[in-house]
Amino acid sequence: MSNSRDNQILILKKEGLYCPAGDFYVDPRGQVKRALITHAHSDHARSGHENYLCSDSCRPLLQIRVGQKNKIESIPFGKKQTIQDAIVSFHPAGHILGSSQIRIEVRGRVWVVSGDYKPQADRTCEPFELVSCHGFISECTFGLPVYRWQPEEEIYDQINRWWKHNKDSGQGSLVFAYSLGKAQRIVAGLDPSIGLIYAHSAVHPFLEHYQNAGISLPEIKKIEKDTVIANGMVIAPPAVEDSSWMKKFRGVKRGFASGWMAIRGPRRRKNIDRGFVLSDHADWPGLIDVITGTGAEVVKLTHGNGDALSRFLGEKGINASVLNESSFREEELD
Amino acid sequence: MKEFSQLFHDLDEATKTNDRLDHLVQYLTDADPKDSIWVCWFLAGNRIKGAIKTSELRTFASERSGLPQWLLEECHDRVGDLAETISLLIASQGEGRGKVGLAELIGKFIEPMVGMEMEQRRENIFAAWDFLGEKDFLPFHKLLTGGFRMGVSKGNLCKALARVGGVQPAIIAQRLAGNWSPKTLRMEGILNPGVDEDRVCQPFPFCLANPLQEEVENLGSVKDWQMEWKWDGIRAQLINRGGTCMIWSRGDESVGHSFPEVMDAGKWLPGDLCLDGEILAWGQEGMRSFSRLQTRLGRKDPGPTILRREPVRFQAYDILRMEGSDLRSLPMEERRKKLEITLSSLPADFPIGLSPLVEGESWTNLAKLRQESRARGVEGFMLKKKNSSYESGRVKGSWYKWKIDPYLADMVVVSAQLGHGKRSNLYSDYSLAVWNEQGELVTVAKAYSGLSDSEIEKVDRFVRKNITGKFGPVRSVKPSMVFEIAFEGARSSGRHKSGVALRFPRIKRWRTDKKMEEADTLETIRGFTGMTGETKLADGTKVDREGNLLLF
Repeated sequence: MSNSRDNQILILKKEGLYCPAGDFYVDPRGQVKRALITHAHSDHARSGHENYLCSDSCRPLLQIRVGQKNKIESIPFGKKQTIQDAIVSFHPAGHILGSSQIRIEVRGRVWVVSGDYKPQADRTCEPFELVSCHGFISECTFGLPVYRWQPEEEIYDQINRWWKHNKDSGQGSLVFAYSLGKAQRIVAGLDPSIGLIYAHSAVHPFLEHYQNAGISLPEIKKIEKDTVIANGMVIAPPAVEDSSWMKKFRGVKRGFASGWMAIRGPRRRKNIDRGFVLSDHADWPGLIDVITGTGAEVVKLTHGNGDALSRFLGEKGINASVLNESSFREEELD
Repeated sequence: MKEFSQLFHDLDEATKTNDRLDHLVQYLTDADPKDSIWVCWFLAGNRIKGAIKTSELRTFASERSGLPQWLLEECHDRVGDLAETISLLIASQGEGRGKVGLAELIGKFIEPMVGMEMEQRRENIFAAWDFLGEKDFLPFHKLLTGGFRMGVSKGNLCKALARVGGVQPAIIAQRLAGNWSPKTLRMEGILNPGVDEDRVCQPFPFCLANPLQEEVENLGSVKDWQMEWKWDGIRAQLINRGGTCMIWSRGDESVGHSFPEVMDAGKWLPGDLCLDGEILAWGQEGMRSFSRLQTRLGRKDPGPTILRREPVRFQAYDILRMEGSDLRSLPMEERRKKLEITLSSLPADFPIGLSPLVEGESWTNLAKLRQESRARGVEGFMLKKKNSSYESGRVKGSWYKWKIDPYLADMVVVSAQLGHGKRSNLYSDYSLAVWNEQGELVTVAKAYSGLSDSEIEKVDRFVRKNITGKFGPVRSVKPSMVFEIAFEGARSSGRHKSGVALRFPRIKRWRTDKKMEEADTLETIRGFTGMTGETKLADGTKVDREGNLLLF
């Protein structure tokens, strides 16, 4: 990286971030010998590597993601493990269950790879831990000050009131949310006294692991061929929006839960009745607090349009730059 | 303000026109008439002008939020809408505690800013930001920046008011037409079930035609239809009431001052009358091109030279009022007879004339005749059902425009701008270029419509990855995307470097199969629109092969 003392700690290769001192990658693409995985979302956890290392609570989710054949080791949060000349440890990122920031220490210099993170409270995952470091590789999916989240209770309240309102006008409700993380987070805040809760089959495999981790969720029903959802609430991944699966839900009010819903343009372009601003990522104040809180001398930004954030940090005297322009994607999953 | 803010958010969240209508009816029923008259005025497309410059608003918002102005611009770029950007950036500190109505709020914070010094305006805006609640921010900034549309058309506003007042939508529409303000009109005036004597100088809502999208034979017997040439001019209503003449454009603007000769002539028509027709450039030889007419548009009190050089004529094709009575419910056929009687025996050089009918024994004959449209300088036919009444707005089944097929050409996208409304954070407005004789891409058109939502998102992604320069809101884009553009004609223009501007350009399709080298040339466009090569070159944008805007 730019600081000469940190030159050899992390290198950006075509497979992703590589640590030569430990001969491992973080969230790599392609096929590598050893992969450290921050969390079990498909844009971070890919199958086909020889060895995986992740946090304990990430492990069952990762296993579902990469298949039973792949070998996964895990360690508890905070426990240090030596890999050749590097010392690594996993620290809660507050993004989804088991999500981690990975701390990498080489010859007394510490870098932290944030993965995706969220310092705001979330009852379905371990709370974010601020880790001091010399260099910080931060996501910046929502790296503009127009993104500021309200507390999740406020959003839960909006969702429940909307559900109740639909029910009172004789209509069912459906919220699009990614099947791992967002779906469970929404369900956790639903008020089961309003009605029955259903979920698309993509959501179900992850549920038992949430329960095993001690996260209490209301009862979630499967959707069978003859299920009539009436005034119930359905949680479904956005990918099914245009599929024939949706035929079952004609006349059902549609919502979408994502940080992108903070802005009217994307909200109105989605063919939905209601957008809920609920994100798994840090908002602008969250990014600023965490980045300055780590005390990092060097900050590299990934995932999102980091230009504005890096310039803003630069004006505050922090050495920040965008890590990899080719990894730029306009709409990060959220 | 609370009720208005709620209406704003309800309208914003509603996805169906009927839901919007319900919300509006509810609001208009419950709200204080002092406030709802303002809502009507805004929804009718009016805005408070000159309250604040957007540059000032940006500066104040930057000061208030503590964010540098460049970051505010980055946010604006992402959000696409200045009012929304500012609302998101400035955390509300007030609770909306003041229980003021919309009218009071406008009187307190918006109207007084017209004519204030900058320092006062800053104080005023900061005070408003302290005063308003979270939910009031976006509607307030929308009013301030003048972009209050909310997916409610004027027609739907009239429908809502009609439901509230139990009055015909057409009557409401007439009351809302023309120039008025919340100071000159009250809700009682709009909703009054009685007749309004004082509004007879106001235009009627125009009856609009739909494009003919099926085979003309499907319209049934040709005998049931009245055919006219479709003029390439400015649609207008001409009203004479006891020697006072007014001309109204379709945008409900009074445009008589631009056409004094027509106004003078109108006074000589029988009293208390309203004609619907078209203003055309018209010389000794007959009709002239639309570009000749343009020299007369928007010009107040044209001098004798231009009046002599660019004469105009009002071609009437309908009569909506005669001797004070509303004729709109009469069948077209009967209105036509009355129109012909009214305009018979006028001198040939009178600037008001009768738009002739086209006779055709069969649709086949008419189709053949339609081929002459371009040579005649018209856009095709208007088909009006003989038994149709004069409706407000776009009607189904009784009026059609049977236009000639547009010109088509393949063009290269060279720059893009963010769209508005639903497309406010998407690059959805494009400048299009063709090759000139020197092998440069020169812009000939801007086009906004024609792509599907998913195509626009794809183009947006391409644009964002291929921006080569920023010039105000315009982003130059590495040329490569080819669009097929449909348009109605071309004229010489100072706006584009090519010296040519297209009429009604719209995107026909995205030619993903074409390379930019295969796009059409300027010569081709001049060729099939009958323009000569000697168009005057102008100061518009020019782009080199790398997509750099050549500004000097």
